Amino acid sequence: MSDTVNDTIPPTGLLERRGAMRQLEGQITGCTVSRDSQQVAFVTGEGDIMVADRTDWGQSDAWTVTTVHDGTILAIAPDAGPTGFLTGGDDSALRRIAADGSVSDLVKGRRWIEHVTTWSSGKGGVIAFASGRQVELRDADGQTTLKVLDHPSTVSGIVFDAKGKRIAASHYNGASMWFVQAKVDTVRPLEWKGSHIGIAIHPAGEALVTSMQESELHGWRLADGHNMRMSGYPSKVQSMAFTRNGKWLVTSGADTIVMWPFFGGGPMGKPPAEAGGLPGVMCTRVACHPVHDIVAAGFADGSVLMADTGAQRILPVCIGGSGPVTALEFSPDGCCLAFGSEDGRACVVDLSAK
Amino acid sequence: MSDTVQASPDAAAQNALVPVTVLTGFLGAGKTTLLNHILTAQHGRKYAVVVNEFGELGVDNDLVVDADEEVFEMNNGCICCTVRGDLIRILGNLMKRRAKFDGIIVETTGLADPAPVAQTFFVDEDVRGKTRLDAVVTVVDAYNVIQTLDESPEAVNQIAFADVIILNKTDLVDEVALATIESRIRSINAVARIHRAQRGDVPLSDVLDQGGFDLQRALEHAPHFLEDTSHSHEADVTSLSYEVEEPLDAAKFQAWIGAVLQEQGADILRAKGILNYAGEDQRFAFQAVHMMADGGFIGPWKEGEPRVSRLVFIGRNLNRPQLRRGFESCRAK
Repeated sequence: MSDTVNDTIPPTGLLERRGAMRQLEGQITGCTVSRDSQQVAFVTGEGDIMVADRTDWGQSDAWTVTTVHDGTILAIAPDAGPTGFLTGGDDSALRRIAADGSVSDLVKGRRWIEHVTTWSSGKGGVIAFASGRQVELRDADGQTTLKVLDHPSTVSGIVFDAKGKRIAASHYNGASMWFVQAKVDTVRPLEWKGSHIGIAIHPAGEALVTSMQESELHGWRLADGHNMRMSGYPSKVQSMAFTRNGKWLVTSGADTIVMWPFFGGGPMGKPPAEAGGLPGVMCTRVACHPVHDIVAAGFADGSVLMADTGAQRILPVCIGGSGPVTALEFSPDGCCLAFGSEDGRACVVDLSAK
Repeated sequence: MSDTVQASPDAAAQNALVPVTVLTGFLGAGKTTLLNHILTAQHGRKYAVVVNEFGELGVDNDLVVDADEEVFEMNNGCICCTVRGDLIRILGNLMKRRAKFDGIIVETTGLADPAPVAQTFFVDEDVRGKTRLDAVVTVVDAYNVIQTLDESPEAVNQIAFADVIILNKTDLVDEVALATIESRIRSINAVARIHRAQRGDVPLSDVLDQGGFDLQRALEHAPHFLEDTSHSHEADVTSLSYEVEEPLDAAKFQAWIGAVLQEQGADILRAKGILNYAGEDQRFAFQAVHMMADGGFIGPWKEGEPRVSRLVFIGRNLNRPQLRRGFESCRAK
């Protein structure tokens, strides 16, 4: 571990005024914020997690770095409880990092743990992780296995619906949807030929959308299984997110922030809106603000922008200065934007009123 | 679109990419032995290995990844464009810790067709952005190979696809038999390099860094272009080599090869060429795997090198005179 703090923040944008940055060894492979919005975590290709406590968001030298995996950390999610994180790695382990920094093993298997997601009701919750073709659901305690769901090919993404009733997984030739609490597991297969490489669900459960190898999106209207096709991307869509009210599906994959309308009959037969961008620079990550109609987007040159989905206003967070943005998240309370890059830059921007 | 001829990235950028070696061969041919040999040899380099059967590999290597050979068909208009989606995922994740290894070796199962692995490198932008396919290395068991080739089209494909063929277990057969085997291999694949071995003991310089898909090195080990005209139409997999002395018209060639790949891509396993375009001082290199093709200028002709256009097809059901006439019709007027 030899991280340096001497790299300079680009002199344009919100990061300079309200943020802090730290350079880590290795690629930032993910970031997230705990459910209580008190801790930001970044994970790396070298197996490290870096945690920033809320009191230290402006003080990057106070952020703590710990090695938690013997290999690349492939996935991170906030724990199902109010504090802490879960990480999955190419050492085939699933680990829990508590708020105090203590690390415990939840799984030590034989396959990479590539996807981790959690759902919380406020009281209880469910943990899900994908390893090879299987998705395992566990109780919030992390120890009790609720069920193991088998799929026809390797799972490329998992998502809970907003109520935690259903979980969906993307894979070859479509997606599979399961009821979390069902006594007998019956899959709802959503079929579409090809390789599906990522998944998102509408916050009101109206649609399920997958990203495809052929640089397009496929969707199913969940009420009747009607197929939706969203195409025209110059590259694969690696990141997508619905806005809080489900009006827009925001995606990467072009040199603008692409937004598909999920209202007024859309997205079928409607062109996507574009919420600004950087000419010739590919958008690599997107995130939607949990409270306001704001989206954030990271780009291939390290730039991060925030855009108002209604008013077409763009606010630069930082312009250029690093490799492609590989991780980008808002905190659940919307007071913080965290992002990281392929060349190891980790940033936290404090958005709270001061 | 995949069936058009694209510009090739420059050589410096190519060198920054992590080389990927594909190791194929029938069950029992000695793939695992060769793999162990590569991993234990003192070369100071570290390799990540993508395998299919975890247990077999006796070497302690923390970068062994278990894969499922998940093949899917691209919806891109190419009827035969199958791709290893699992490899896209695995290579993408391995590249997140770039600093830890110098190359990647992908071992396929005994019956695997090498085409989906190769096509993965043509199709996926992220794979192309971080890694390069170095070569397909096929391990062959000298003792059983003739019978295997007679019985199994998969084995024929593995030979046809290879840039390098390791003829293993040569201690089990005599010199006469070896000559017969090599001649049989040559009739399928005239461009591959053949190395004899016992228990996989080949120098690593014969296996790694072969540049089999490097346009700069296309036809580096080209056969003598003596055309065998004894058959006009071969049902079996064979190599057809053509040479045209007069300069070619670039547009005519592109149109012709595009049509050939579109119509016969399913039967053409690999194609390679070095072309002499009229009015160009540089050589143009071309390669294809089924319908996927790429090409680019690779620098001036070497001192004393004859400025002729050469093209090799490896495939089945190929019509020798028809392809010759087509190639010759690309001459500039």
